Amino acid sequence: MIRLQSITKRYAGAANGELALRSVDLEIAEGELVAIIGTSGSGKTTLLNIIGGLDRDFSGTCTVDGQDVGKMSDRALSDFRNKQIGFIFQHFSLLDHMTALENVTLPAMFTRGEAPIADPKARGIELLGKMGIGEKTASHPNSLSGGQKQRVAIARALLYAPKLLLCDEPTGALDSVTGAQIIETFQRLNKEGYTVVIITHETRVSDAADRVIRIEDGRIVNDGRGGADSNPADDSAPEGSA
Amino acid sequence: MTFRRLARLVARNVSRSKKNFLMSAIGIIVGISTFVFFIGLSEGIKDVVLGQIFLVDQVEVVQKKFDTGFMQMGGGRTLNAAAADDLAKLSGVEAVYPKMKFTFPTRGYGGKKLFGKMIHAEIIADGIEPALVEGELKDPSKFGDLRVDRACSADNKCPDGMLCVENAQTAKSACQRQTCEYNKDTWLSDCPGKSYCAPDTMLCEMPIPAVVSYHLLEWYNGSLATALSSARNKMPKLSKGMVEGFQLNLDLGKSFLGRSKKGKRLVRRVELVGFSDKAISVGITLPISYVRDLNRHFSGAEAAATYHSIILKVEDQVQVPSIVAEVKKAGFELADSTENAERAADIIKTVQSVFALVSGIIVGIAAINISQMFFMLIARRRREIGVLRAVGASRNNVRLMILGEAAFIGFIGGLLGIAAGIGAASLADYVANQLPDFPYKPDTFFAFPPWLWLAALGGSVFFCLFGAFFPANAAARQDPAAALTH
Repeated sequence: MIRLQSITKRYAGAANGELALRSVDLEIAEGELVAIIGTSGSGKTTLLNIIGGLDRDFSGTCTVDGQDVGKMSDRALSDFRNKQIGFIFQHFSLLDHMTALENVTLPAMFTRGEAPIADPKARGIELLGKMGIGEKTASHPNSLSGGQKQRVAIARALLYAPKLLLCDEPTGALDSVTGAQIIETFQRLNKEGYTVVIITHETRVSDAADRVIRIEDGRIVNDGRGGADSNPADDSAPEGSA
Repeated sequence: MTFRRLARLVARNVSRSKKNFLMSAIGIIVGISTFVFFIGLSEGIKDVVLGQIFLVDQVEVVQKKFDTGFMQMGGGRTLNAAAADDLAKLSGVEAVYPKMKFTFPTRGYGGKKLFGKMIHAEIIADGIEPALVEGELKDPSKFGDLRVDRACSADNKCPDGMLCVENAQTAKSACQRQTCEYNKDTWLSDCPGKSYCAPDTMLCEMPIPAVVSYHLLEWYNGSLATALSSARNKMPKLSKGMVEGFQLNLDLGKSFLGRSKKGKRLVRRVELVGFSDKAISVGITLPISYVRDLNRHFSGAEAAATYHSIILKVEDQVQVPSIVAEVKKAGFELADSTENAERAADIIKTVQSVFALVSGIIVGIAAINISQMFFMLIARRRREIGVLRAVGASRNNVRLMILGEAAFIGFIGGLLGIAAGIGAASLADYVANQLPDFPYKPDTFFAFPPWLWLAALGGSVFFCLFGAFFPANAAARQDPAAALTH
């Protein structure tokens, strides 16, 4: 599903020799639930952005579902993100001036060619119902709780039923109870066949994953099964403390 | 992204930033309203100046004169029938219409009914081909040579003072003037209807039809009526309807300044049958055949064959410069009226350009303001643009979205600017209508040709797109990964 070969990333303006990712090799199979953990600044979000085609300024090869992300045109890559990848962010990234349903159907605004579903609105209503917030279709994000907002964001990511869900600290802004519910949602989606990659520094998330990959200073330092290989010490490292 | 989806996205974005967009649109509204107001004003003035005062769809040719420093002397090619034929052959000339002035002194008197007292005045007159004013008169048949024998079947088919007489040899009937008698003191005669008894021929004559210029009426109403009014006798303001049908007696060959050396003095009557912008500015204009005969009577055969000017009707105004060049090459020169028309057209074009430039500068400044506003909005919406890119928006989608918002502001700003411009024009017209009448005072000082609406709306949208172009590109080039972590 995902294959990274010798991925190296240097940010413009970074000090000499300071790399965000250092020759990273990684393979993630279809249907896996993978947690990528690491301290803040270790390069995990950079890795996620490269996999999702949001960051193309890197060396090496990144192949997602057989497509070389680094070689695709902006138009093709946008189309790929639109139909094949679902993004979920820590701070939900919903558009406040749109209703929950409009946020969910937002990807349909940018779909080129034939859309994977015939009726985005009906699909959006169905997804919001599945997320347990069917009554909130007309609500604006500022009237929703954190958990509800993240469910709207998940519903948006699922609009076209993409093969891959990329989640960047999806429980980072949620309380423990709501966070646990969101983790359960990801587990359920994984069982339905979605490949889920979650960036996190929370043990409760990595414990739920089938596979945990640890990154430090731009390198993969550990790649193993969930729970046993994760390092609980990371739980105490708040974002930005590194 | 389809146009419908783009329109929906733009509408949502504009509706949530109403204040920002409205503030930016104010500059556009001011600029476009200024453009509409001033271009409308200059178009309105152009209509009056070039449509009524200085005509630009015709060229008036006169004989070339040589200025010695003390006086002007004629010496160029004579304007006669041969010259008229040559001028008619010039490319772009639709028709030629010779004009001939009275070459003898004349005075006129009459108008007691109209003015309340008898008016005596020196008369200047010229003659033109009736075809030249055909389109301007309600009844063109009234402006023609009424003396021409015309076929008839009965007396009532002939003009007043004429009888239908059968020619014994040809057995054909034609209208002929009937003989008459008149009282020298009262001018009363036995001529029927409008006809009067001409003292030199003792035949019934219909009044010579005449047309006058709108300038004359404007000049009378705007200046002369006031100047000639006294506390006891106030001169009336005249309308076109009041003046049509007005009759004046002409003392031909005699005036306050002198009398003709040749030809016996004649008395004739003229009747005003309409207005024409081809008529002499101050004076009366008759069918040229009457003037030709009178010039022959008072000044001889050469005067009857020499025109004072020839009007060239052009096929298209665009061809005027080339026709003018050809006319000068052929040894003629232009009448002052044509020279003035060209000068007036140049001045109006210059003034219009200045107005357009001023409006353009205002709208240009507004475009800079719009550019700054979009840079600010994009900075504020950086993360949002990152989200749009994450869910599938391409660079071009982002660019189109920003430009769509700019076009929307331009369109709405343009419409409001047009409305404000028309409102200001109506206010200006209202204020102007409170002012006393003056010559050529129009009903409205403004004219709004259809191209002005297109230019105003198109210009407004263009400047807004121009202002948003760089911000839109900056937004499109934004790194989505960096934007999402913003």
